[in-house]
Amino acid sequence: MQDIIEELNRRREAACMGGGQKRIDAQHARGKLTARERIELLLDDGSFEEWDMFKEHRCTDFGMAENTVPGDGVVTGYGTISGRLVFVFSQDFTVFGGSLSESHAEKICKIMDHAMKVGAPVIGINDSGGARIQEGVASLGGYAEVFQRNVMASGVIPQISLVMGPCAGGAVYSPAMTDFIFMVKDTSYMFVTGPEVVKTVTHEEVSAEELGGATTHTSKSGVADLAFEDDVEMLMMTRRMFNYLPLSNREKPPVRPSTDPADRSEHSLDTLVPENPNKPYDMKELILKIVDDGDFFEIQPDYARNILIGFARMEGQTVGIVANQPLVLAGCLDIKSSIKAGRFVRFCDAFNIPVVTFVDVPGFMPGTAQEYGGIIKHGAKLLYAYAECTVPKVTVITRKAYGGAYDVMSSKHLRGDVNFAWPSAEIAVMGPKGAVEIIFREEKNDPQKIAAREAEYKAKFANPFVAGHRGFIDDVIQPHETRKRVCRSLAMLKDKQLDNPWRKHGNIPL
Amino acid sequence: MFTKILIANRGEIACRVIKTARKMGIATVAVYSEADKDALHVELADEAVCIGPAPSKESYLVMDKIIAACKQTGAQAVHPGYGFLSENETFSRRLEEEGIVFIGPKHYSVAAMGDKIASKKLAGEAGVSTIPGYNEAIAGPEQAVQIAKDIGYPVMIKASAGGGGKGLRVAFNDQEAFEGFSACQTEARNSFGDDRVFIEKFVEEPRHIEIQVLGDAHGNVVYLNERECSIQRRHQKVIEEAPSPFLDVATRKAMGEQAVALAKAVNYQSAGTVEFVVGRDRSFYFLEMNTRLQVEHPVTEFITGLDLVEQMIRVAAGEPLQIRQQDVQLNGWAMECRINAEDPFRGFLPSTGRLVKFVPPAENAAGAQGAVRVDTGVFEGGEISMFYDSMIAKLIVHAPTRDQAIACMREALNGFVIRGIASNVPFQAALMQHPRFRSGQFTTNFIAEEYPHGFSAADVPHENPAVLVSVAAAIHLRYLERQSRIVGQLPGHEFKLSRHYVVQLRDAEYAVEVDAIEGGHRVVLNGKPYDVLADWKFVDPIFRGTINGEEFVLQAERVGLKYRLFHWGVRVDVGVVSRRAAALMKLMPKKAPPDLSRFLLSPMPGLLTHLAVQVGQDVKAGETLAKIEAMKMENVLKAEQDCKVAEILAKPGESLSVDQAIIRFA
Repeated sequence: MQDIIEELNRRREAACMGGGQKRIDAQHARGKLTARERIELLLDDGSFEEWDMFKEHRCTDFGMAENTVPGDGVVTGYGTISGRLVFVFSQDFTVFGGSLSESHAEKICKIMDHAMKVGAPVIGINDSGGARIQEGVASLGGYAEVFQRNVMASGVIPQISLVMGPCAGGAVYSPAMTDFIFMVKDTSYMFVTGPEVVKTVTHEEVSAEELGGATTHTSKSGVADLAFEDDVEMLMMTRRMFNYLPLSNREKPPVRPSTDPADRSEHSLDTLVPENPNKPYDMKELILKIVDDGDFFEIQPDYARNILIGFARMEGQTVGIVANQPLVLAGCLDIKSSIKAGRFVRFCDAFNIPVVTFVDVPGFMPGTAQEYGGIIKHGAKLLYAYAECTVPKVTVITRKAYGGAYDVMSSKHLRGDVNFAWPSAEIAVMGPKGAVEIIFREEKNDPQKIAAREAEYKAKFANPFVAGHRGFIDDVIQPHETRKRVCRSLAMLKDKQLDNPWRKHGNIPL
Repeated sequence: MFTKILIANRGEIACRVIKTARKMGIATVAVYSEADKDALHVELADEAVCIGPAPSKESYLVMDKIIAACKQTGAQAVHPGYGFLSENETFSRRLEEEGIVFIGPKHYSVAAMGDKIASKKLAGEAGVSTIPGYNEAIAGPEQAVQIAKDIGYPVMIKASAGGGGKGLRVAFNDQEAFEGFSACQTEARNSFGDDRVFIEKFVEEPRHIEIQVLGDAHGNVVYLNERECSIQRRHQKVIEEAPSPFLDVATRKAMGEQAVALAKAVNYQSAGTVEFVVGRDRSFYFLEMNTRLQVEHPVTEFITGLDLVEQMIRVAAGEPLQIRQQDVQLNGWAMECRINAEDPFRGFLPSTGRLVKFVPPAENAAGAQGAVRVDTGVFEGGEISMFYDSMIAKLIVHAPTRDQAIACMREALNGFVIRGIASNVPFQAALMQHPRFRSGQFTTNFIAEEYPHGFSAADVPHENPAVLVSVAAAIHLRYLERQSRIVGQLPGHEFKLSRHYVVQLRDAEYAVEVDAIEGGHRVVLNGKPYDVLADWKFVDPIFRGTINGEEFVLQAERVGLKYRLFHWGVRVDVGVVSRRAAALMKLMPKKAPPDLSRFLLSPMPGLLTHLAVQVGQDVKAGETLAKIEAMKMENVLKAEQDCKVAEILAKPGESLSVDQAIIRFA
C-alpha cells in the first residue's frame, strides 16, 4: 500500500511539472503563468479538485507513442470562487504547446458535462497552439465535441473564456460561443488565420498583436469583452466578475449584503443633464451614482463606446446596465452598439438578471456605411433582444428618446415593466428642427415662421408629459431620487413571471 | 440700516456676503451671468438678476447692468466683494449719483489708492515708508526699459489698476522688461479696461504682510492686526495666516499705525488692507492699499472675532465703529488654504468641468481639534467654467497655536473630497507638512525655491506609511468579508478568509496579518499591531476612524484591483493581495507606459488660440509652439527640446480636452 501511495505522489509531482521546468521557465519568461498557477489564482485557496490528472493521449503516429505527458496539456476540474462552484479547464502551453488532442478534448468535455448536470459555470483558460497535428482528424473531432457542448451549455450555465496565450484557427470558435471573452494584452491573440497566411493571401503585413491582440479585439472587432494588463489582473478581475453571475439559468442572480442605502439621494444628478440639448454629458456618472457603492463592472468599455453595458448591484442583487452614452456619437445607435447591447441583454435574460436601461438616444446613425453594413438587421437585434426579454426591465429616460430608437430602448411597448422619465426627457419622433422641416415644409423658406414652429414643437414634445399622458411613462421622477425609485421597482419586480410562447427557438435577425 | 442689498459678485464671496446679510436680517439680491444661472450664490440669495453673457466684461463688469438690477429690485446698497468692480472709483461714484450706497470706501479713497502711482506718493506724504519706483505713466516698452535701468534690476512691472498678482511681471534684464511691459499692458487692458502700468524696485527675499484696517464715516480708523501672505505661487497667494509668525509686537504696532495714518489720510470708511513688503530685518515698505474686502479676510475674522462684512455694512449705513483700537483682539492662530481648480501635478494648469463630487470637510465653530470654516461658491454637480477665477473654496481653520492650526488644517484637507476636476489640495497638504513652512521661516519665494521644477507626487512622501498599509489592509478585509457573505456557496465549503496578506505600496511590499476585531480590524505589521476601527460604508468617499486610538481621516476608493488612498497630500494606489499572488505578480512583465514624448499634448481643457508652427518646421527648445486660453489665462506651450513638426492635429479655435494631441513631432 505504501508503495502505491509513493507511486501516486511521484505521479502527481510529475503531472504537476507539466512540460518540465525548462518549459515552465520559458512560459514565465513570456510573462505568462502556468496552467496550474492560473487556476490557483482564479479559485479560492485550496479549493481546486483536479480530475484526469493522469490521462494521456492515445496517438501512436510520428513517434508520439513514446512522447506522453500525464494530463495531456490541459488541467481540468472544479473548485470555488467566493465559495461558489465553478468548473475550470486550463490549457497547459508547456505540454505539446497546449495543443488539443482527442483526449485533451475529452477532459474538457467531461467537466462541461458535469457542469451542465449540476448547473455550474465553466471557465476555460485558453493557451494553445491549436490542433494536435499528429492526431489529424481525431483532434478536429475533439474541437467539434467541445463546440457542441458550448452550444448546449449556452444560456444554461455561464461560460467564460480567458484567452491567455495563442488561440488560432478553429480553436477560436469555442471561446466565440461562450458568454464572455477576456484577453491579456501583448501575450494573447485570437484569429482564424495568422499573419503568415494573411500575407500570402491578401498581401497585408500585420503583426499577430495587431491582427488579433487584446486591444484589437476589445476595441476594433468586439470579439473580446475585456483586455487586461497581465495574467494576475485578469484572474483576479474574473473572480470579481464571477460574483455577479448566477451559477445557472435555474438560479436567481446572487445576492450579497449591501450597506448602501436604497434611498440614497444624489442631488448632483439634478444638474447632470445640460441645458443645451446638444451638449453631451457623461452617462457613466449617472450609473456610478445610482448603483450600489458606485461599483460598475463595465463590459466592452472600449468597443462601441456610444453605449455602455455592464454589471452592477442594486440592494445587493446583480443587475445588468445598458445605457446610451451621449459623450460618444451623441449616444446614437449604430451597428456596433446594437450588437453589443443586444447580446448583453440576451445574456441577462438567459440568466435571470434584471435589466436597467438609461436612455438618451437621438436615433439611429444615418449614412451609407451604416445602411450598407446592414443597420436594419443589426439594429433589429437589440429590438429583438429587448422584446424577447422576460426578466424585470426598468428604464429611465434622461433626455432624448427619439424615433425608432425610443421604441428599441426597453420602451413600455416592448414590455418594459417600469418606465421612468426625468423632467429633462424629450420623447418624440425626432428632434424639433427635423420635425418642423417636415411638418411645415411649405414654410421652410420663412426662417421666422420656422423658428416659431420649432418653439411650438419644442414646447409640445420636448418634455416627458406627452408620453406620460398615454401611459408610456409610468412616472416622471426627480433625478436625485433615481436610485430609490429604481431600487423599489426592482424589489417590486422580484417575483415577476412572464413567459414567451413555446417554440423551438425564435429567429433573431442574425 | 438697509433692508435690501445687492451683491455685485459671484462665487464664494457672494455667498459669504449673503450669509452675513441674512444674519443681519437684510434681504439679498444676487446678480449672475448666463454661465452662473445655477450657481450657488443665485440659489442662496433672496432674488437674482441675470446681467448678461458669461464673459465678465459683458456681465459682472458692466456697471449699467448692475445699477439697473439695483433699481429693478429696490436694493439700497451694493456690496462689490473683491475683484470685478470692487475697486472701481467710477462705479462707486455712479452708485452715489444714483442714490445707491456702495458698501466700501468712498470713491475718492478708491481713486486715491486704486492708482498705484498716486497711492505711493500719498503714502509717502502720510509718513508711510515706501520703496523706490517710477510714479508716472509710461509711454511704451522702450521707456519702460529705461525706467527699469534707472531703478536697477530686478524690477516689478504691474498693472496700475490690478489687484493681487494679476498682470504682475518681474524683469531681470532689458529684454524681460520690454516683453513684460507689453504683456502686462495687454493683460491690464483685457482684465481691467485700464492699460496703465507701473514699475518699481523688486525686493528680493521679501515677506508679504498686510494690515487690515477698518474705518467709519466719523473719522475712526482701527487696525485689526496683520495677515501673513508670503506663501505665494507666481504672486498669487496660496496660504494666508494671522498672525504672522515673523512679526513682533513693536513691528505690528508700527505697521498698524502707519496703515491707520494712511487710511485717515484718504478718509477711509470701510474695511481695507494696507500691504507691506517686510524685509529680513523687519523693515517694511508700503506696497499698495486694497480698498476692498480681501479674499483672506476670514483669518482676521477668526483672530479678532469680528465679522468684517457686517462691519462694512454697518459703516456704509453710517454707523460709527463700536470697536476701539485697545479692544482689538488677537486670539490664537488662523490659517487659510485657497482651494483652486488647478492640477498641481501638471504645472498648476486650470482644471474645468463638472464637479462630480464635492464634499468639503464639516464646518465647526470651535471643536477640540480647532475650528473649521469653509467658504465656497460651488456645489457637487456644479460646473467649473473657464470664464472665471479658479478658486473654488477657502478652507480656514482656527486653533490656539500655529502648530495646532496646521494639524487642524491637515486633517481638514484629508477630508476635502473633490472629484471630476483636479484641485490643489495635494499641494496644500504638502505645504502643511513642509518643515520650512512649519518652522515659519519663509519668504514670498518659498514655493519657487522649494518647488523649482513644479510639484510632483515625489514631493509628498508619507510621514507614516504604516497608516496607509494598515488602512488598505483593513479596507481589503472589509471587501472580502462582504464577498464571503454571498449566497449560493457550497454548504460546508464556504469561502474562508486568510489572515496573511501582502500590501503593495509604491515599490515596497509589506507582509501583514489581519484579524477582525470589534468595530474593525487588527493589522499586524512588523510585529506591531494597528487597530483600525471605523464606521465606514463602501459608498463613503471618506474613511474616518481611529488607528490605535488616534483619530484619522482619509479618502479611499476602489480603482480596479487597488485601493486609491488620499492622505496628507499623498494619492497612492495600494494593492492588497495574498502572499501567493504577490509572488506570482513578480513574474509579470513590467510594461513601459506608451511613449507620448513625440506629441505636444494639451495640458488642460481650453481653447487653442494660436499655433506658432507649421508642418515640417524645425523648432528649437524653448520656442513657442502653441497658445491655449483657459480661465482667462493665456498659456504658452513651448518646445521642451529641439524637434521637427511632423503633423498638426488641432486647429486654432478648436476646444481642446486635456491630453488631446496638438502636434506630432518627427
